[in-house]
Amino acid sequence: MKRILIALVLLCSFSLLFAQGGTDNKKISPKELHLFHFKVDQIEEWELISKEYAKVEPGIKLVIETVGGASDWNTALKTKFAAGNGPDIFIVDGPALAKTFMEYLTDLSDQSWAPHVVASAKAPLTFDGKLMGMPFNLEGYGFIYNKQIFRDAGISKVPSTVAELRQAAEKIQAIGITPFGNGYSEWWVIGMHLMNIPFAFQSDPQAFSIALDAGSATIYENDIFKNFKELFDLTIEYGNKNSLTTDHNAQMSLFNTGKVAMVQQGNWKEGEIYSANPNADIGLLPIPVNNDADFSGRIPVGVPFYWVVNNQSALQDDAKKFLEWMVTSEFGRSYITEKFAYIPAFDNIDSVSLGGLSRDILDYATQGKTIPWSFTTWHDGMYNEFAEHTQKYVAGRISYDEMLVAMQASWEKLAK
Amino acid sequence: MIAKNRNMTVRLLELLMVFFAFLFLTPFYFVLVNSLKPFGEILNNAASIPTVVAWGNYSNAFQKINFVSVLLNSLSITVISIILLVAMGSMASWWMVRNGTKFTTILFYACIAAMITPFQSFMIPLMRVVTTLDLVNSRKGLIIVYLGYSTPFTVFLYHGFIKSVPIQMEESALIDGCNRFQIFFYIVLPLIRSMTVTVIILQTLLIWNDFLLPLLLLTDRSLHTIPLAVFSFFGQYTNRWDYALATLVLGMLPIIIFFLIMQKYVVAGVRAGAVKG
Amino acid sequence: MDVKNKKWRERTLATVFLGPSTFFFLLVIAVPFLSGIYYSFTNWNGVQSKATWSGLSNFKYLLLQDSQFFASFWFTFRFTLTTLVITNVVAFLFAMALVQPLRFRGALRTVFFLPNVIGGVLLGFVWRFILVNGFATLGELTSIKLFLLPWLGSPETGFWGIVIVYTWQSVGYLMIIYIAHLLNIDSQLLEAAQIDGAHGFFLFTRMILPLSMPAITVCLFLVLSWTFKSFDIVLSLTAGGPFRSTETVALNIYREAFTYGNYGIGSAKSIIYFLVVGGITFVQVRLTKKMEVEA
Repeated sequence: MKRILIALVLLCSFSLLFAQGGTDNKKISPKELHLFHFKVDQIEEWELISKEYAKVEPGIKLVIETVGGASDWNTALKTKFAAGNGPDIFIVDGPALAKTFMEYLTDLSDQSWAPHVVASAKAPLTFDGKLMGMPFNLEGYGFIYNKQIFRDAGISKVPSTVAELRQAAEKIQAIGITPFGNGYSEWWVIGMHLMNIPFAFQSDPQAFSIALDAGSATIYENDIFKNFKELFDLTIEYGNKNSLTTDHNAQMSLFNTGKVAMVQQGNWKEGEIYSANPNADIGLLPIPVNNDADFSGRIPVGVPFYWVVNNQSALQDDAKKFLEWMVTSEFGRSYITEKFAYIPAFDNIDSVSLGGLSRDILDYATQGKTIPWSFTTWHDGMYNEFAEHTQKYVAGRISYDEMLVAMQASWEKLAK
Repeated sequence: MIAKNRNMTVRLLELLMVFFAFLFLTPFYFVLVNSLKPFGEILNNAASIPTVVAWGNYSNAFQKINFVSVLLNSLSITVISIILLVAMGSMASWWMVRNGTKFTTILFYACIAAMITPFQSFMIPLMRVVTTLDLVNSRKGLIIVYLGYSTPFTVFLYHGFIKSVPIQMEESALIDGCNRFQIFFYIVLPLIRSMTVTVIILQTLLIWNDFLLPLLLLTDRSLHTIPLAVFSFFGQYTNRWDYALATLVLGMLPIIIFFLIMQKYVVAGVRAGAVKG
Repeated sequence: MDVKNKKWRERTLATVFLGPSTFFFLLVIAVPFLSGIYYSFTNWNGVQSKATWSGLSNFKYLLLQDSQFFASFWFTFRFTLTTLVITNVVAFLFAMALVQPLRFRGALRTVFFLPNVIGGVLLGFVWRFILVNGFATLGELTSIKLFLLPWLGSPETGFWGIVIVYTWQSVGYLMIIYIAHLLNIDSQLLEAAQIDGAHGFFLFTRMILPLSMPAITVCLFLVLSWTFKSFDIVLSLTAGGPFRSTETVALNIYREAFTYGNYGIGSAKSIIYFLVVGGITFVQVRLTKKMEVEA
């Protein structure tokens, strides 16, 4: 009796609270299609896309959820799924994350756009012959260089080997400018993008990963890794001081003010460079690993993220329809090529407005001079571990060989 | 002579404190100055005074994030949470101090334990609870989570304070025939007013600035709060400092005004307590 | 009958007063935390629909093999202790100064409190900018060694960088609490002591400090509870770097659960963390409570 009364009192006191403002959460027609992505710089564009799509498909309301990089979109996405509240369409940044979410992914091989995905973008998200994601664009990175400084230093030939890069660095140093602006405090600059280079230059990067997993190859016995010391040391020797305090903002500010000639970054920084300096004369250099220009003259090109469809969603078909609309309709395509100024990952979409870096990347891509983004296949947490070891090397706490051994140990630990 | 010496010391102290004050204000200088610069200039020279004042940052940020709606969201969530928290927390703490049982002791220690537990360690199970109750994507849901999440700190603050309040007045009121509600609302609440002000200030700051909970709970853009709006300018590889800082200043203003108003009551509350004590 | 009735009324009253707080506390903190314990015995990755029971293997792994977990404990411990002392000493001195009849007293109080109006993550970004760019510029202008250090780029500067930011942020908060208590100290008591010949240092150590013990207990515990679980400022300031030398326990747990996709191990870590911090806090509260009684 007492318990029932207590419960009643409790209920009454809370019903008051629950009664207020209950209109937030009503799901009314049209059906809501939830789309999750991390491109916070595209919030307005996506809102316009959502408006346009309401005209095309009046039965569907596209709800865009954007979680930025600063706030770790990955965690927010995982938390949503763990709580049983996954969005209908979401993004994965490569095969490793796709594997984590595998039981939720829908096969997209039968979609009309699938045959037009460029090969290098198709491979990473193909599992057992099934394409599980739609690539949105291509990105590339390397050393962004200031062409004016290169001219001032009298560098006529674009360096594509380690030796040539060293000569270029000496000439730049001679005119009083720091050659490299290293953003080595940023885990993704050093642990992910830089350490991708010796992985991606393996003759078969995927086979190399598998061999590492199986224990039949090691990082410290591998020649490309051993030789990579030359390039790594070059950037440190001719780099800005205190590179371990330099994050990507500080790095770009060094580059934009002309204090350094080169920064290891990608075409995602293009907009920022042009807004700091509209007349910037910039290009992209490969990150070489040896003195063979044909071998080293390749840049890492990859897909920053793929759209995937949640197979638990009741709106799977609507989700597929939307993705198709994005890459087949005039409107959708104009966003990819013009508003986002992307390098498209489809062979039937032509790029329109590209800046200096994207043009260079497209050149390398059309000539087939690319290497993959191997880091997208690494085990979860690998970049953070690699960042730790490489930063220790930059700080002089361990030797290069010790760094390689530590990287091997991390691989073994995380491969379990 | 002594008076003059004392005066000198006070003046010196004054100078020292003003110096510290300027030191404390440096970060605000950076925020303010850069919120008025074009994007390119922030990247190139962050420490300087703007060469051209870019008021456009503010109007742009204002439009891009739909500032009025964001402000109203933050305000309604904070105000409702605080009112309920203060009511619930003060009542519970008073009861715990005056009518202590084994249960209240356990509850108090559970609160202390909760204060030292990092949010990340129960974030996923919490999201499960919230999703099961269908509280996702609503202001109501977020407020309910705050009521639970902020209870330990509220109880901690009130509990300590109420213990120091003399019990005699309550006892004589009881003899005069007051019931517990009358005692609590007419005698205790006025006595603990200064702590209520403290609780309001501290919890307002926590809720107003909270980022992770709104991020996880409010996916619909029309429900976004100020911290979410500021962060919508930070990407994975690029940060739009110009808009982010302008939004930050806009979001800081209400809370600074709020603090300036409340500060009067802090001092007043403390004085009243001192006179009576 | 009457006795029974009274007891019943007492219960109802207790429910009204305690009920709401207890309910929300259980719903939002206790139930999720306790149900989270289950995951520490599984190898759940945080996303899969099913979690496999793995017994004690998570605990075994992190106690025997995960040296970084202990390194982050050690860092957190050093950082907490340092911050605890610095913030409280500075806040107390500021409070002592700002109860004197200074000009601009109100304005000064406001200024010192102002850092609290910026939230954690953004604060880290702003400070990162100042420590990295601002200090470097100052160093070039003045060639003072302190500014020329590689701020946030070495374990030592990373450590002190975080301490500086925490001090900057929390001093105002603590100062307000100390001011409130200092104003509440009976001035007649102090005057009497002064007439009896107590001055300066003696007055401070024998009168003011013991009388402030309740406030000190509160402030010590507050700083302890903030710094031990510190997460967002560290994340945006150093992200645990360089080479994980400034990784706090909360950051370590977060990484394990979300970045490395080992939610099971992450849960196991948070249980161990909880037990350790719970123990430390218990001892600290007991110790200062004892000092209060003696005072």
